[in-house]
Amino acid sequence: MGIQIQNITKTFGAYTALDRIDLDVPSGELVALLGPSGSGKTTLLRVIAGLETPDAGAIHFDGEEATRRHVRKRGVGFVFQHYALFRHMTVFDNIAFGLTVKPRGERPGKEKLRERVTELLHLIQLDTMADRYPAQLSGGQRQRVALARALATEPKVLLLDEPFGALDAKVRQELRRWLRKLHDEIHVTSVFVTHDQEEALEVADRVVVMNRAKVEQVGTPEEIYEHPANPFVFNFLGNVNLFHCRGTAGDDHAGAIAGPLGANRDSIGYVRPSDIRIRRSAETADDIAAEVILVQGAGVLPRIELKRLDTDEIVQAELPRDQYRKLGLKTGEKVFIHPTNVRVFEPDFQI
Amino acid sequence: MTTQASTLSPPFNRTLTEPRAIRWILSGLALAFLAMFLLVPLVAVFVQALEKGLAPYWTAIVEPDALAAIRLTLIAAAFSVPLNLVFGIAAAWAITKFKFRGKAVLITLIDLPFSVSPVISGLIYVLLFGLQGWMGPWLAEHDIQMIFAVPGIVLATIFVTFPFVARELIPLMQSQGTEEEEAALVLGASGWQIFFRVTLPNVIWGVLYGVILCNARAMGEFGAVSVVSGHIRGLTNTLPLHVEILYNEYNFVAAFAVASLLALLAIFTLVAKALLEKKVRHQVKSITREIGVE
Repeated sequence: MGIQIQNITKTFGAYTALDRIDLDVPSGELVALLGPSGSGKTTLLRVIAGLETPDAGAIHFDGEEATRRHVRKRGVGFVFQHYALFRHMTVFDNIAFGLTVKPRGERPGKEKLRERVTELLHLIQLDTMADRYPAQLSGGQRQRVALARALATEPKVLLLDEPFGALDAKVRQELRRWLRKLHDEIHVTSVFVTHDQEEALEVADRVVVMNRAKVEQVGTPEEIYEHPANPFVFNFLGNVNLFHCRGTAGDDHAGAIAGPLGANRDSIGYVRPSDIRIRRSAETADDIAAEVILVQGAGVLPRIELKRLDTDEIVQAELPRDQYRKLGLKTGEKVFIHPTNVRVFEPDFQI
Repeated sequence: MTTQASTLSPPFNRTLTEPRAIRWILSGLALAFLAMFLLVPLVAVFVQALEKGLAPYWTAIVEPDALAAIRLTLIAAAFSVPLNLVFGIAAAWAITKFKFRGKAVLITLIDLPFSVSPVISGLIYVLLFGLQGWMGPWLAEHDIQMIFAVPGIVLATIFVTFPFVARELIPLMQSQGTEEEEAALVLGASGWQIFFRVTLPNVIWGVLYGVILCNARAMGEFGAVSVVSGHIRGLTNTLPLHVEILYNEYNFVAAFAVASLLALLAIFTLVAKALLEKKVRHQVKSITREIGVE
């Protein structure tokens, strides 16, 4: 089921959580709402579920007006951040809950119910845990039970609020991949909230970047990463170095670098740490002399922190492992850096 | 790493514990205090009651006026406990699971019976329903007697025991939050289904705990009931009032025999309370565990 969100506004007292949001979630896609805390992403999710009522705007499910539709009638599955499992029920009863509260006519019989729950237990790979209570499960297991419970009623939309937020890094990785696989199997339209850009980029078909109650950019992970629409998105998706760009008049800021086409003296150049080249000797006139002040060799991409000798500004760089080994950088060494892939954004026409 | 740290720091029991002598003195003082003010009186009740043997004890209890007092006490509790149970659960549910205007006022009102002297509580009903009271003439005209009759006693008992269930449930339900109810709602449960299948099971021990306390107070209430009762033997005397009358008549064995019934109720209440407290704590703990990160 596709979701069309039009002009949704939601305020809590003086605080605006959602400011005229427009968004289209195509049927069958896995969409991530990505943003810092307080950006309104969870509120948007709750508005879609019907747990919050918007002050203005409309929500359509497959083109059908659903703004005022009661939560119960929306047919959504919701996975809460802290799982919200019923703590006095076993795993089996938790998963069965949605089926047992159906009106008498639609309620499945005992056999049917057992079949469906067993099927779901198998799906979440917890076949042997049916009689456990939530308190007896690990965080990752609880998360999966919460997911199975949401899926039991065959919702047309699955909504997940920070689904991996409270888990440790390793379990998180596994569950992420598992969720992606699951989605590829059952194809239910899914929206999940996260503040972790890596998570959003890895799992989602489409990423919605939110900031301060507004949508900043919508696109595939690649589009978002390769063509960020504005400085906020660029910044939020990873570390960034800022440089002044050179203009044509010769009255440049100190330490300005050559910008891309169309840059002027007031343009700010954005460069990712992985786009900073480091060399032992200057190769072009644009190379900037710098001193290595910190080397972090651990991690996938070794991180180097440098201080520009001309402006004393700190620049962060990331090197591929082999190059890092070849260079063998040490703190205090003098090297040359060369920013590549410099990006500038049109300044906003706002004061 | 944590084990290393703990072996380096001194064992905490030595730094945090007082010398043996002081520990003994303090514990001894506490126990002596407890014995003097709680245990000795309790034992005294039974000793006095059984002073002349079992037969007079038994006669005092099965005497018609005593039986009437027992019956009336049970009636008062039978009305006030279920009513306050329903009210307490409804109030706690409204206060903790919904946002509405005037919530603070409601919480204050629930506490009112705790902050008012029971005698005043009784007096309020005399002022309202007594012959000289606001509604007195109207009631008299319709031949309804509230004061110095069973309805007044029931009303006064309800008023005094009003806060017990609600007070017990509000903090418990607050700590549980509304996430489980929201989960049930999204899964398609109706209001009643959410209440009976999610909310109530999560607080059931707290409810029982509140009921036990409410019942103990309902049966033991003296002040408020004393004002509205009129002390008519065999008609409007509850157990505590009956004890007082017997005592004032220097009928010590009978007074203490009836009092021993109330003492037994107190002991039963304490035991039940201790058992339930454990369960309630467990319910609170299971919440924190569920939210906590491993």
